Amino acid sequence: MTLHPKERPDDFTRRDFLLRTAGAATLVSGAGGILAACSSSTTAEGTTAASGEPLGPGGLPLARPDKRVTMPLWEDPIASGLEPETGGTFTVFNYPDYLYKKLLRDFGKKYGVDTAYTAFDNINSGVRRLASGAVEVDVTNMTPDLLDLVVAGKLIKPLNLDYIPNLKKNVWPELVSPFYDADSHYTVPYTTYATGIAWRNDKVKEDIAAMPQPWDIFWQAEAYKGKVALLSENRETIGSALLRKGHTDINTEDPKLVNQAVADLKQLYDICNIKVGDVQYQAVPEGTSWLNQAWSGDMIAGYIYYLPKGTPGSVLSYWKAEKGKVPVQNDCFCVAAATKKPVLSHLFLNYLLDNGVAYSNFVNFNGYQPPLNEIDPESLVKDGVVPENLANSVLTNDDFGPDSLQYMTLTAKGQALWEDGYSDFLAGGKT
Amino acid sequence: MTAVAERRTAPQFSTVTRLRGWFRNPWGKPRFLVLVTWAYILWSIVPVLIAVQFSFNATRSRTIWDSFSTRWYWGDPVDSVWHDPTLRHALVQTFKLAGADVLIAVPLGVLLALGLARWHGRGSGASNFIMLFPLVTPEIVMGVSLLLVFSELFTFIHTGTLAQILGHVTFSISFVVVIVRGRLFSIGRQYEEAAADLGASPFVALTRVLLPLLTPAIVASAAVVFAISADDFVISQWLSKGGDTDTVPIRIYSATRAAPLPSVNAIATIMLVSTLLIVTLGFLAWRFLTRGERGQKSDDLGALGL
Amino acid sequence: MYRRWLWPGFAFPGILWLILLFVVPFYAVVGVAFGTVDPILLQPVPIWNPLDWNVGWLNEVLHRLAPGGIWFDVGIRTIVYVALSLALCLVIGYPVAYYAARHAGRLKGLILILIILPLWISYMMRMLAWVNLLQTDGYVNRFLTFTHVLSQPRDWLAGSSSTVIFALVYGYIPYLILPLFASLDRIDRSHLEAARDLGASPWQAFRTVTLPLSKIGILGGAVLITLPMFGDYYTPNIVSQSPQTSMIGNQIDLYFHGGPQPTIGAALTFVLAGFLTLLMAYYMWSIHRAQQDVGAVGAL
Repeated sequence: MTLHPKERPDDFTRRDFLLRTAGAATLVSGAGGILAACSSSTTAEGTTAASGEPLGPGGLPLARPDKRVTMPLWEDPIASGLEPETGGTFTVFNYPDYLYKKLLRDFGKKYGVDTAYTAFDNINSGVRRLASGAVEVDVTNMTPDLLDLVVAGKLIKPLNLDYIPNLKKNVWPELVSPFYDADSHYTVPYTTYATGIAWRNDKVKEDIAAMPQPWDIFWQAEAYKGKVALLSENRETIGSALLRKGHTDINTEDPKLVNQAVADLKQLYDICNIKVGDVQYQAVPEGTSWLNQAWSGDMIAGYIYYLPKGTPGSVLSYWKAEKGKVPVQNDCFCVAAATKKPVLSHLFLNYLLDNGVAYSNFVNFNGYQPPLNEIDPESLVKDGVVPENLANSVLTNDDFGPDSLQYMTLTAKGQALWEDGYSDFLAGGKT
Repeated sequence: MTAVAERRTAPQFSTVTRLRGWFRNPWGKPRFLVLVTWAYILWSIVPVLIAVQFSFNATRSRTIWDSFSTRWYWGDPVDSVWHDPTLRHALVQTFKLAGADVLIAVPLGVLLALGLARWHGRGSGASNFIMLFPLVTPEIVMGVSLLLVFSELFTFIHTGTLAQILGHVTFSISFVVVIVRGRLFSIGRQYEEAAADLGASPFVALTRVLLPLLTPAIVASAAVVFAISADDFVISQWLSKGGDTDTVPIRIYSATRAAPLPSVNAIATIMLVSTLLIVTLGFLAWRFLTRGERGQKSDDLGALGL
Repeated sequence: MYRRWLWPGFAFPGILWLILLFVVPFYAVVGVAFGTVDPILLQPVPIWNPLDWNVGWLNEVLHRLAPGGIWFDVGIRTIVYVALSLALCLVIGYPVAYYAARHAGRLKGLILILIILPLWISYMMRMLAWVNLLQTDGYVNRFLTFTHVLSQPRDWLAGSSSTVIFALVYGYIPYLILPLFASLDRIDRSHLEAARDLGASPWQAFRTVTLPLSKIGILGGAVLITLPMFGDYYTPNIVSQSPQTSMIGNQIDLYFHGGPQPTIGAALTFVLAGFLTLLMAYYMWSIHRAQQDVGAVGAL
């Protein structure tokens, strides 16, 4: 399913196979009898609405940028005007190293609570620990594709937006009421990123941005054999082949399209000895890889942290498509249902959306861009955070909207299709 | 006139004959083998020495040597092993797992070795088989099976340090058994029987006669378990929950696939030195504790069960 | 002298541990491989009763491994890598073990230590060492261009099979040399002397006496390195991140990534374990036969 950059397989272990879908799962029937008579099927079934559309758990339709979904309230949000709780420990549940701890400590000092940070290495194991009660937290990170699951499982609390004025004040209009959570019943956005192409412009001579279809560069990369890589994640990798041919439904479950995309990807073996990996944020600045599919934050992080001395920042280049052709993504923060400090949790969400706090988190620590109006490409270039040649790594409000592309939940059958397609690509076979 | 005795000189053979003799001498030292052996030893060890050398590089290059510096160990305020929490925690976790592994696997393994060596009743054959299997099971199979058993059956155990310890002990027990059993075979029953003849109870025979004789093997197996636990990658990765539960091999693996800083060389060097130190201590302890037995034709490697 | 229950009693804790954490987990793999996926909890549901097993996943995996399936190439490739690596390990390792066992003389202890040394060096560190050396500006390229073997630096880490095989050989060869050495060390010189006395040339003596007697060592070493090598997925990932050099272990790794089909990963693990059991059986049978040969020679 959709991969969060903090879940890079190379960096962290995601040793959990909780399904990353809110869609129906593969149902396999197993009748009795001896082995030979055992039923033998791997067919998928799922719940469907009366209109024939596949549904997620809780009976909610699968959200898409052009299909807004309103999350039902399983309880009333807290009342307005309450005093924040004090004393005790306030715990944040998040990816490791994904929030500047100084900001968390400052928040705790302001409201007179101790603070703690509990990490999960992948969102699925995090959800699982929430569900089993293994962790007691106040706020948690969440990805949109798991939203129906956690709402149906009553793991997060509905929000009272009176406590979170920064949402409407500071956040990009498109994400104030996102398609996956209309009217922000449960979530506030945290960071945003897009998928594009990163390269070393001193090694790769083509003007990729000027090409009629920049994704074609991978299929024309004979000169860069062994220095070309795609992301090692099935949605992103197969998606790039789909986008290259102009198919913009990156949530498609059509086997013909996916299989054709995989066949196209297999051409890359001979063309450029294609590799897969998620380490472009380090490999491209160091020069061990020259042409990579990459997330938008990768080159910013690469510029800030991983550029070797003597290599100028101007050698890094990034391209992403215009809206409607570029996959964008964001993750969110929510209030955990089991919290004993609901008011404080709401205030923390508001705190995260404060311009100064979010900017500090982004520039001083995180490297992932928050969707705030005040943080735009010009100001970042002016402040020297982002060099001029990487200004297009910065996302804007215009990248989001009903006609944007976002990898979202698939049905289990669809997920199996993409996973098997990627397995085929990874096997490196000629067939 | 006295004839001067003919001086005996060495027969003058042609070079070809001498070379042929060189090769044909079955008890001589074949040059080819010498070359191959030393070439292998160099090929085997020199790359690691170079990696150690680069951990002391003053620049961040791991291919071009600049000058000596301890920057990556403690000097660099951000990326050195001392200052980078991910590297520090990986070191701590590795030692934690290795230490716990030794403390659990060695006693279990010693008892198991004693049991298997002396037990000839029903079930001993199967038990022996079960004990040997982990030695040849590929780690990914073990990793998958442990992961599944912790999520499907023993669900009270989550991925993390406890699961990693359990996994490490599972593959370590067999090594302890093989080493201790070998030692048991070379000791034989003679000493315990002598003790019994002199009136010792079974308990005394075990604890005051057999156990001290086993000590060299116990010490050696502790060193071996430490080394294989510190080296383990697959089991640690599959049972890790990320963050602090990642070990040094996991960090090296992640870094090597990207573009490692010499701080990765540094952390690898630290583990290398620690492991070699412990193994050397174990070896010296073995030598010291078996000092009375030298002179016998002791088949050390046979004692290792090979 | 000792109570009869003492030794089984001693063995009990260790055996219990191994049963709970080694044998039972194998059955967990089987249970998941022949199980289903729960639609509501969205987790694999193992089926423990063999009568209720669902063989759909196993069929799918076998179908993929069969000729024409998407995994046929990677299966063959894995076998080829392991076979080539084993062959190279033997070609390099046998002379080394032979020298150390038979000709080292005074240096025997030193050489033994140097041969055993890599066993204590972390596998990851040894791979790290080579990744650094094989960089475009690393020592290997610099040496090869300096000596004019290469006209320009070659990209060794560009996703080539030879680099993967090289890394496998480098990584696993110490585990082959040790049992080989042990087995060669034990061969009685008198057998060789007898052969020479009977007129055999050095080569014939080697072929008819030493080689058969060391067969057990060869087989033991082969088991020790090939079985784990079949499950290797990290070595190709380190020296080449290319799908064209991936091994079957990479597929198992993929399906435990959090997708909807961990059952396929479990089924593939089951098939791999089954294949290795067959291989193990072949080894044991070969060792048994080799032992009979040793017995025959020893009777001389």
